[in-house]
Amino acid sequence: MSTIPIASDERSRYEKLEFVAFLAGLCLFFSTIEYLFPKPLPFFRLGLANLPILISLEFFAPGYVFLLVLLKVLGQGLVNGTLASYVFLFSLAGSFSSVIVMLSVRRMFGRHISLVGISLFGAVASNVVQILLSVNFIFGLTAWVIAPIFMTLGTGSGLFVGMFAERFRTQSRWLETMRQHYGKNPES
Amino acid sequence: MAKIRKADSFLSRNISAVHLFIGATLVLPAYLFQQNLLVRMAQVLLFAWLATVNGKRIKWNYFIIMVSSITFFHTLNPFGEVIFSLGPYTMTRGALRGGLFRGVTIVGLVFLSLFSIRPDLKLPGKLGGLLGQVFYYFERVFEGKKKIRVKAIIESLDEILWDLFVPGETVEPAYIEGTRTTKYGWLFLGALVGANWFLVFYRVPLTIL
Repeated sequence: MSTIPIASDERSRYEKLEFVAFLAGLCLFFSTIEYLFPKPLPFFRLGLANLPILISLEFFAPGYVFLLVLLKVLGQGLVNGTLASYVFLFSLAGSFSSVIVMLSVRRMFGRHISLVGISLFGAVASNVVQILLSVNFIFGLTAWVIAPIFMTLGTGSGLFVGMFAERFRTQSRWLETMRQHYGKNPES
Repeated sequence: MAKIRKADSFLSRNISAVHLFIGATLVLPAYLFQQNLLVRMAQVLLFAWLATVNGKRIKWNYFIIMVSSITFFHTLNPFGEVIFSLGPYTMTRGALRGGLFRGVTIVGLVFLSLFSIRPDLKLPGKLGGLLGQVFYYFERVFEGKKKIRVKAIIESLDEILWDLFVPGETVEPAYIEGTRTTKYGWLFLGALVGANWFLVFYRVPLTIL
C-alpha cells in the first residue's frame, strides 16, 4: 500500500485537522439522522455518531481523536441547543470515557481486535459512566434497578455500530483512498 | 462561502447569540435559587415557550417521562407525611416534592439551554474556527442525505463522501449572518432577567406540596 508523501509537517497537520473537521461533520449528520429511528426507551440512543470516531482510530494519534470527540460533543450541543444543560455533560463524560477505553483496547490488542470489539468496549464504558452520573445526579440510588436494561441495550447498540463500522472499514473505497493519502496511525 | 440556515424568530431577529447566552447565564442562578415549586414550574414553562419561539421542537413526551421517572424513583425512598399506600409502595409528601423539584429543575435547565444556545453562537479561538468547518461539512453532508439507499448503504455513503471530501482540498468555514441586539431585544432580556430575579426575593403566596 503506497502513501502519498506530504510536503511538510505543518501541511500534514493542517490536512489532518481538515479531515478531523470533516469526520466531526459526519458525526453531527449521523447524530441528526438517529432521530429517524424508533427508540425502545426514551433515554436510549443508538450511538450512530460514534461511527466516524471508530473509523478515525485507524488514522489519528490520540490527540486528534480527542479533538474529534470534543468537536462532536460541542457541535451537538450547539446544533441541539443542549450546550448549557446536563445533556452536554452526560455526552461529554460518556464520549470521552468511551474513547479513552477504545484507544486503550486498540493499543493493547492491536490487530487482534476488530472494530466490533472496540465498539463494544466503548459502549460499555460510556454506559457505565452515564449510569453512574444519572444515579448520582438525577434519579438517585434506586435507579440501579434499571441499570441492567440500559447496559443490555447499550451493549446491543455498541455491537450494531461496531458491525457496521467494520463492514464500512473493509468495503468502503473512499476509506481506502483516505488510507492511501493519510497513511495509518503509527500507533495502530 | 457556505451559509448556515438560521431560525427566523423574534429572538433570532432581535438578540445576538452572545447577548442571549449572557442573558440566560444571568437567569440561571435566579432559577436555581428559586425554592417555590409552583414558580419553578412556571419558569420551566416559560423557558419551554421561549425554546419554541427560538425555533426548537420540544418532545413533550420525552420530558414528561423524564420528570415522571425521576419523581417515581425518588418516591421509593419515603420521608415525610404519607399521602397514600398501595401494597409495599408508600408515597410521601417529602419524597414526592423532592422528586418533582429535581425532575422539573433538570428539565428546566434543558429548556433554558434550548432557547439560549444557537448555532451562530461563536466560540472563540482556533476551536471556534474549526467548529465553523465542522458546520460547513455538516450542512453539505445533510444536503446529500437523499442519496442514501438503505439496500446499498456502503456504496451510497461512499458516493456522498467522494462528492464532499477530497484530501488536501481547502474549505472556507461556514458562517451565519450575525444579529445585532435591537432595543426590543434589550427590553426583552432586561424583563426576562429582572422578572426571574424578582421572583427570588418576592415570596409568592401560592405554592404546591
